[in-house]
Amino acid sequence: MPWFEPTDVTWTYASRRLIAARLIVGAIPVLLFGGGLCAMALLIGAAPAVTISVCALLAAWCAWVVVRQVTAHGWVERQDDLMVKRGRIFRRVTVVPYGRMQYVEVAAGPVARSFGLARVQLHTASPGTDAHLAGVPAAEAARLRDRLTARGEARLAGL
Amino acid sequence: MTDVPAIVPADWARLHAVTPVLAAGRAIGVLTIIGMAQAGQGGLQGARAVGAWLVFGGIGLVVVLVSVLAFVAWRMNEFRVDDDAVHQRKGILFRQYRQARLDRLQAVDVVQPLAARVFGFAELKVEVAGGRASGVRLQYLRLDDAEALRNEIVSLAAGIRRAPAAPPEGISESPVALDAPTVPVVATAGRSSIAAAPEREVYQVPPGRLIGSVLASWWTVIVVGGVLAGIVAIVIVGAVAVEDAAGDAVSANGGVGGFLAGPAYGVLSGVFAFFAVGWARFSAGFGFTAGISADGIRLQHGLLDTRRQTVPPGRVQAVRLRQPLPWRHFDWWRITINVAGYQDEQEAVSTLLPVGPRKDALYALWLVLPDLGDPDPAGTVSAALSGVGAQNGFTATPRRAWLVDPLQWRRRGVLATGRAFLIRQGLFARDVVVVPHEKTQSLSIRQGPLQRLLSLATVEVHSTHGSITPVAHHLDLADAIALLEAQSTRAREARARQTPEQWMATVQR
Repeated sequence: MPWFEPTDVTWTYASRRLIAARLIVGAIPVLLFGGGLCAMALLIGAAPAVTISVCALLAAWCAWVVVRQVTAHGWVERQDDLMVKRGRIFRRVTVVPYGRMQYVEVAAGPVARSFGLARVQLHTASPGTDAHLAGVPAAEAARLRDRLTARGEARLAGL
Repeated sequence: MTDVPAIVPADWARLHAVTPVLAAGRAIGVLTIIGMAQAGQGGLQGARAVGAWLVFGGIGLVVVLVSVLAFVAWRMNEFRVDDDAVHQRKGILFRQYRQARLDRLQAVDVVQPLAARVFGFAELKVEVAGGRASGVRLQYLRLDDAEALRNEIVSLAAGIRRAPAAPPEGISESPVALDAPTVPVVATAGRSSIAAAPEREVYQVPPGRLIGSVLASWWTVIVVGGVLAGIVAIVIVGAVAVEDAAGDAVSANGGVGGFLAGPAYGVLSGVFAFFAVGWARFSAGFGFTAGISADGIRLQHGLLDTRRQTVPPGRVQAVRLRQPLPWRHFDWWRITINVAGYQDEQEAVSTLLPVGPRKDALYALWLVLPDLGDPDPAGTVSAALSGVGAQNGFTATPRRAWLVDPLQWRRRGVLATGRAFLIRQGLFARDVVVVPHEKTQSLSIRQGPLQRLLSLATVEVHSTHGSITPVAHHLDLADAIALLEAQSTRAREARARQTPEQWMATVQR
């Protein structure tokens, strides 16, 4: 049985630049941790080659996970709701009706901003709604926010 | 008493003048106890007396300071009710202005903490949708005033405009002069023109059943078991000690006492914990009465602190019926609800029925959902409460799910009626969650690697903040996908025809 894939929609995927942004952010702790390990290995006289290769393997695996995650993340604006999908091993599709959106938030950290990316977060009255779109090009994020807000206002129902 | 809002205030008004006394009372009480303890412990003679008097002086100073602050805080705390919102401004250094919009009203509670209740005062809590601390707390008002204000706020929120003159008592239920322009209410004797909507009692929880429900819990089993084990331990230790004493003339009495203290202490703390938990349940659920009125669901409960809740129609976001294993023999159920405005004290505010037989549980569900949208509501709910498998149209979790969910898979199942979505789960503690279709916020489907191997998926229905999180675990993947599509369609259609926020507005026109 295949995963939930509505046939009549075309997904918009997260920008590939998000991979680079996430790798940079993720590399900082990996470098610090790996550097520390190597320094310790040198100090106690253990083989640094083993430590370095273990660290490199771990880093490569993390990088691969990031790539797979970003390429799996997409969304589609349907007539009445927004559908967001994410994850490969633990995968999830969330459907947020426009009439339920309380507000839309656009945020961007320093690294994401330097790549021209933003994150669009949808808020409903439920804390369980985990619907955010990562890796949206900044201009598109602003357009998306306006469009979603307009649609939400048009269809907004009481709680 | 000039500051008492004799009428429901359209202009800024202060809370009752007793507020600073009650607010400072608690702090002063604590300080007095400390002072007493000091006096009892230290005595007031000799060199120590100077220190003790210093402490008393300090406490006295703090009491004066607290009283002054409470008084100023009361002077600065004002509220106002107009046709659209309840406004409040308060704070001494950091001023706060809050408005609770009546079209976002979710619940109005009249709460009486013990100290306020003794003197006939109450606190009014106006809960609105809109995140943490968005409601308005009016602390304290005379009980009559608080209730009058509640009636006024609820009817304004219902879409009934203020009438220019007070209709005579008795016929006030029928909306009169509705198209009249907005004029502040003029009322006599501290009552507003709007009487409480006539209420019909639906069920009550007798104290006997409440005590039974507290006793019939795992706590009892643990405490009784603990006490028995403790007694056995004490007897054994005692017997050994006696034998020792027989052998050795110089018996170590202190040693025996030390040995006995361990288990005895364990037993005692267990008993205390049991009483604390049991007491909290008992005092919160004491005298529980649920009724229905044009203003919505009315709940009243509490032994020392009492609470009268009014939840207007269509404000309940989700319902959970739960039966812990010890209750199964009696077929008792506890029902909790999610209401968007209720943020903290979930235990106290979210109970719709603390304990009741199946009949009462069905009534309670009917309070929330008068129409379940099912040809045989009682049969369907009964199947949800105690059924397993695919009976009564439930979509059951497939057998292969036992690999990931060995305990609950047999009970798990979902059913969508015309008006609501039912999730059935729980093996030992039976659980049924009901979400009205129009209250579905958003939906998710998710799948982990093990579920993927077994072709299963989990569907989440997102409800507002509260103690209930509706999740249907481990459905067949095809069922889950179909459910997601169908449920989002059902939610959309239900939203289009849901009760308007101003629930009386359509009746008037």
